[in-house]
Amino acid sequence: MTSSTLRVSHVTKRYGKGITEINAVRDVSLSVAPGEIVLIMGPSGSGKTTLLSMLGAILKPTEGEIRLNGDVISAFAEDHLPEIRLRQFGFIFQDFNLLSALTILENVAIVAELAGMKRNFARKKGIDLLNGLGLGERLYFHPRKLSGGEKQRVAIARALINDPALILADEPTANLDSKIGHEIMKLLRNIAKEQNRSVIIVSHDQRIKDIADRILWLEDGQFKEMMSMAIDPICGMSVEREKAPATLEHEGATYYFCAKGCRDEFADNLKKNGVVGSMIF
Amino acid sequence: MIRLAFHNLFQNKIRFIISVGGVALAMTLILSLDAVFTGVERQITAYIDNSGADIFVSQKSVRNMHMTTSSMSRSVITDVEEIPGIEKVTPILYLTNMVVSGKERNLAYIIGLPENAPMGGPWKLFEGRSYPRTGETIIDRNIAQKSKIGIGDDVEILGRKFKVVGLSEETTNLVNSVAFISISDFIKLWGNSNSISYLLIKINPEKSSSDIAAQIEANVKNVTAQVTADFSSQERRVVKDMSTEVITMMNFIGFLIGLAVMALTVYTSTLAHRSEYGVLKALGAHNKHLYQTVISYSLLSVLIGLALGIMITFLLSIILTYLRLNLTLAISGVSLLKVSSASLVIAAISAILPIKQIAGLDPAMVFRGK
Repeated sequence: MTSSTLRVSHVTKRYGKGITEINAVRDVSLSVAPGEIVLIMGPSGSGKTTLLSMLGAILKPTEGEIRLNGDVISAFAEDHLPEIRLRQFGFIFQDFNLLSALTILENVAIVAELAGMKRNFARKKGIDLLNGLGLGERLYFHPRKLSGGEKQRVAIARALINDPALILADEPTANLDSKIGHEIMKLLRNIAKEQNRSVIIVSHDQRIKDIADRILWLEDGQFKEMMSMAIDPICGMSVEREKAPATLEHEGATYYFCAKGCRDEFADNLKKNGVVGSMIF
Repeated sequence: MIRLAFHNLFQNKIRFIISVGGVALAMTLILSLDAVFTGVERQITAYIDNSGADIFVSQKSVRNMHMTTSSMSRSVITDVEEIPGIEKVTPILYLTNMVVSGKERNLAYIIGLPENAPMGGPWKLFEGRSYPRTGETIIDRNIAQKSKIGIGDDVEILGRKFKVVGLSEETTNLVNSVAFISISDFIKLWGNSNSISYLLIKINPEKSSSDIAAQIEANVKNVTAQVTADFSSQERRVVKDMSTEVITMMNFIGFLIGLAVMALTVYTSTLAHRSEYGVLKALGAHNKHLYQTVISYSLLSVLIGLALGIMITFLLSIILTYLRLNLTLAISGVSLLKVSSASLVIAAISAILPIKQIAGLDPAMVFRGK
């Protein structure tokens, strides 16, 4: 995998001209580190889809710059963008968007074949990925035979097959029930952390906030408020720093917890390990 | 992407049946028409091709039999016999008339044959005798069947009754059949004893037919001598000239039907998979990949339709043989080449509109749930 950073600088997207001009995205800047999960939330019409399209090299910004691996992809010619999308991005969609005529293995392998991989290698890699995602028994099933969660796992395998630096997910839990949605998000989190891939998620789903490292609120085409997230050192859940139910300061560092129970367990562990010094609750 | 086209083609069975079936029917129409006319061409020259002659001699400038009259003086026989290299000469009389049996009237080439003629008689006999004596005739088996008559029954030819003594095969076509009577009866009915229509000539196998034909024309006045293959080809040309416009028009109609069916099905299929093409575009597929899919889809449908059309036509040709109709379907290589080319044109044109659709497809549509 290529370790890379996405850097968005003062990006604006305008549609129309004169009195019909609309600023869908206004002067947005953002930086995503390798392995980081960024959740972009916001009301309908806030510009999330436009921003996601620009981040995924589907739409070119009117102003500003988007860099990936140091390359200014926003300056690339239109005919160069499919190649960038194919090799640098993995896409996960709300409606799964699997090709109905193909088996799930073919759905995954076709993207590698489009990138120039030989059919046999593409299939082998597809099988490995699908096995890894627990779909080994379903390789030759057509998408209509799968549950929503399984379809989204196929979409994740498809997003990963060309080893992208960045995964872009558009409302990935919208068509899934709460339990499956959470499982899918945990899977994405594991992929991001274990494989050091950056993930940008656009979603309305409040329930998935805990898997993000950072939450951005987009409104009227601009980021209004940034919520930074921290990981509970006991249970591993993401916690909004500002709204964490429990915190603990120790030797200049602040720890954030999802509940007081986790904080108390953390404090007990410090004591058991003979850690000395003040602890501020 | 070809595999995707293949899967898309077989995914919707009704659309598959419509597209492939439509093309198959259009191709069957084109192929069958061609096969009918090729069959007619072959049948119409059957008498010439099976006459056993190497050279046909006719009245000057007469180059075929169909819808023509040839009349030469009997002295031509001896003039021709004197030319070296000629082994046998058979004079025949010929005109087009009816074989009448009750209310059944069938158009026929009436051939007046000398007794024990070595050439020009029926070449395949179903039943009875192969040469007619005075007052006798040999008619085609299918005509006899149609007229519900057999050996020993009477038919009327040139206004006189003849007893059927033989039933020949392969002597009928879509237009007419061949009936044989003796040359003496023909002369009596015709009222002209000094004329003959054609001379059928057998040459020494070591000699060249075209050289002898040239010698005949050089040494015998007012005759045209043609090698049998050329004479047969002239006969075919007459039929072709008469039917070319019909064939062209029907072929064009078949082509348009095939094109309309294909264009519609490829277009509807592309529309049905529009969102999937959008997904592929968003994932990074180039337009060329998607064009490849549409063209492959179109080509696959047309090729399967073409194969099916060829099979149907072959099947029809076999069925027609068993039905013993006066119609033969003969599928020629040229005809196959023509329909194959037409199929490729149909496939190419059918893909144009869907390709334009795909070219204008916005990959961002995948984020809008379209």
